[in-house]
Amino acid sequence: MSWTTSLLAAADSGSAVLITFLIYIMVVFFIAWASNRLLKGKNFLSEYFLGSRGLGVWAFALTLAATSSSGGSFMGFPSKIYTHGWSLGLWIGSYMVVPICVMGILGKRINQVARLSGSITVPDILRDRFRSVAFGLIAVSLIVFFMTFNLVAQFKGGSEILRTLLKPIDAFSDVASGLPTWFTGLSSQGSEYLLCLLVFGLAVIVYTTYGGFHAVVWTDVMQGIVMVVGVMIMLPLAIYQAGTAVQNTQPEVAAKATSSLESVTRRMATMIPPRKGTATFTLVDPEAADDQRVLPSGSWIFVAGEADTPGRLFKVAKGYTLAEGSSSLVSEDKDGNGRLDKAQEGQPGKGEDLNGNNVLDPEIWEIVDPNDIVQVQKRLEEEKETDNLTGVFTLSDIAVNDYAYGAKPAERGSYVSGPGPHRDNVSGFLPLSLAISFFFMWAISGTGQPSNMVRLMAFKDTPTLRRSIFTVAIYYTLIYFPLVIIFCCARVLIPGMESEPDRIMPQMAIELTQNIGMGWMAGLLIAAPFAAVMSTVDSFLLMISSALVRDIYQRNLNPKATERKLKQLSYLFTMLVGLGALLGAMNPPEFLQDIIVYTGSGLASCFLAAVVYSLFWPRSNSQGCIAAMLSGFGAHLSLYLIGFLRGTGFTPYSVWGMDPVVIGLLVSFLVGYLVTISTQPPPTDLVRKYFCKPNSETS
Amino acid sequence: MTDSDSQLVDELEYDPFFLHARREAVIIFCCWFVAMLWAVPYCYYYGYGIADPEKIPTTFGIPSWLLWGIGMPWLLADTFTTWFCFWFMKDGELGSAGDENLPPVAEAGEEATS
Repeated sequence: MSWTTSLLAAADSGSAVLITFLIYIMVVFFIAWASNRLLKGKNFLSEYFLGSRGLGVWAFALTLAATSSSGGSFMGFPSKIYTHGWSLGLWIGSYMVVPICVMGILGKRINQVARLSGSITVPDILRDRFRSVAFGLIAVSLIVFFMTFNLVAQFKGGSEILRTLLKPIDAFSDVASGLPTWFTGLSSQGSEYLLCLLVFGLAVIVYTTYGGFHAVVWTDVMQGIVMVVGVMIMLPLAIYQAGTAVQNTQPEVAAKATSSLESVTRRMATMIPPRKGTATFTLVDPEAADDQRVLPSGSWIFVAGEADTPGRLFKVAKGYTLAEGSSSLVSEDKDGNGRLDKAQEGQPGKGEDLNGNNVLDPEIWEIVDPNDIVQVQKRLEEEKETDNLTGVFTLSDIAVNDYAYGAKPAERGSYVSGPGPHRDNVSGFLPLSLAISFFFMWAISGTGQPSNMVRLMAFKDTPTLRRSIFTVAIYYTLIYFPLVIIFCCARVLIPGMESEPDRIMPQMAIELTQNIGMGWMAGLLIAAPFAAVMSTVDSFLLMISSALVRDIYQRNLNPKATERKLKQLSYLFTMLVGLGALLGAMNPPEFLQDIIVYTGSGLASCFLAAVVYSLFWPRSNSQGCIAAMLSGFGAHLSLYLIGFLRGTGFTPYSVWGMDPVVIGLLVSFLVGYLVTISTQPPPTDLVRKYFCKPNSETS
Repeated sequence: MTDSDSQLVDELEYDPFFLHARREAVIIFCCWFVAMLWAVPYCYYYGYGIADPEKIPTTFGIPSWLLWGIGMPWLLADTFTTWFCFWFMKDGELGSAGDENLPPVAEAGEEATS
């Protein structure tokens, strides 16, 4: 492997990312090819959508763990830790029981009932369990409804992650800017986004379509390993380097601490959240060359203080380019000089002309923590931060606001205590009601996700289930709490990332590995978030196509379809669903992140009560379970509609401060119970089939 | 369905596999509930509104309220999971759907089974 070593040794962190990414894609395609060979000689639908119910411990454990760990775990979660501090430990706390809840509550029974009925999908189970075509169709409709929105959102998320990862690579920007105009005009998100969407989307569609369930499972296994290895490498590096940083900048704090991690916590206890706002940027030299007329995103400006006033440090949140003929970038349209172009993907001069009437605010963040200011200045001197606009621009009309919670003297220490700092919410990041909601959401809502239920139908025997629950419990322990530690260390190590928190994961990976002279290793660490989002997308893609092929076509339209026909349709629908989501993601609707939250909690509100009753309550009937499903859907949707009508956009109306999933589940369980006991009991033969030993008689 | 059918449902002899699975599900739910009852109140009581954050108690470098509220219960939850998986959960026969690693039942031109 000397060629690999020399290749990696020669690579800087940027090209290492590219090399890692290319190797990763090649392995994924190899797995798809190998999986397609497994399809030969087996019942096609069962193998393509369920892996012939033969998953062993590693495959079953890691596919479930990786599917649950979407891109949010490695991009959104780290950015939240960075922004809100140690309180994220409580936010993610219920993951201590997520494995046993998600796999243990339904696992044995759903697998058994799926075998008894010959079911391949979740709607299959509900339909056969109650011998109700209507129930099956309602379940399919809800899955397709929620999953389609979610798939578009995940495609966008995957593309954004890939863009973040590849952004430092010059070749990537060159290829993106070289795309023909007619093509880039297809997307409102710019050429870099479009390029990433195509690479990400086509890769997922091809390997999922060609390889089916086994390809998804085995790529999940690889992705799961990548994730845990990445975290385990980062943990000691982060603690050591952050501890050293405190020792260098605040030796008096480090002296009081008995360990590196304690000095990090003590440093965080003194942190003051930044301010956010707008300002007018004016070129010091109005005749400056074009390369100085750009404000890259993440660039710094230090404004020296006068007399007794200390200096102030600002960070540019988004990239801007001054319009031709203009020397100022202002937050309001004042006199025609205020025209600015929003720089798109760092390409000067290609921005949008706002005609001086619809001016974007140049968003800035002010770092107010004195120790953070010292550290940023040190990083600028050491060239760990390269974009310094001090002396190039001056700032005036500065208007910045403190965090709604965490900035006042009485709220100091918010990064080490609850409820954590928050920019807009005066109750802080995690008030008590939300802490309860999240404890509910991860464990109970996760149990109600159909994508998890499908995997529970695929393990081969009960020893596999037992060992897998144990494996996932250890796996989550190794990932989630360490992530909290790592990105609390990131707060100390890389100050000022609040302006672009989604970049903290790749930024931290590059920082940690470059500090030990092993920049090439960043590629491995950065592959983790990409792996996470890919493993979620491929599962959702297969769920929708299985709903269309199995639940709608085979079971309702053409029960006598031939194996060849089903095979052709499975390939076709998987590809079409993927391409449809890819097209939708070219011009994604607003509120995509909110849609992901809505669909996840909505699916749990619809499915959990119905599935629990159907598996564990012999008295349950189709009327009760359908009522549970529809009432959960209705209650959950109503809270979002009330929020929308009250003018809060996609923010749902909150009852007692609880997340809508809590209310949706309570309503679903209650209505399901009441309707069941007030309607006819189920036919005895169905009860006997699903709840009694074969050939059992009455006692 | 008649009243006698309803009575019949109550009198059926349930599959022990189902009864074990139901009992295990109830215990797991209780485990989640106990975890919540410990973690949220503990963290709220000791971790919210700390009077002097600069003197915040730490254990192994982590704020103590988080270590005892989440970190330690997490290890206990793992211990419980280990005991539950290897000493409590019952194995049993899941049954057969007839499509496990079997050759395809219908090739081109033939009818497929659902």
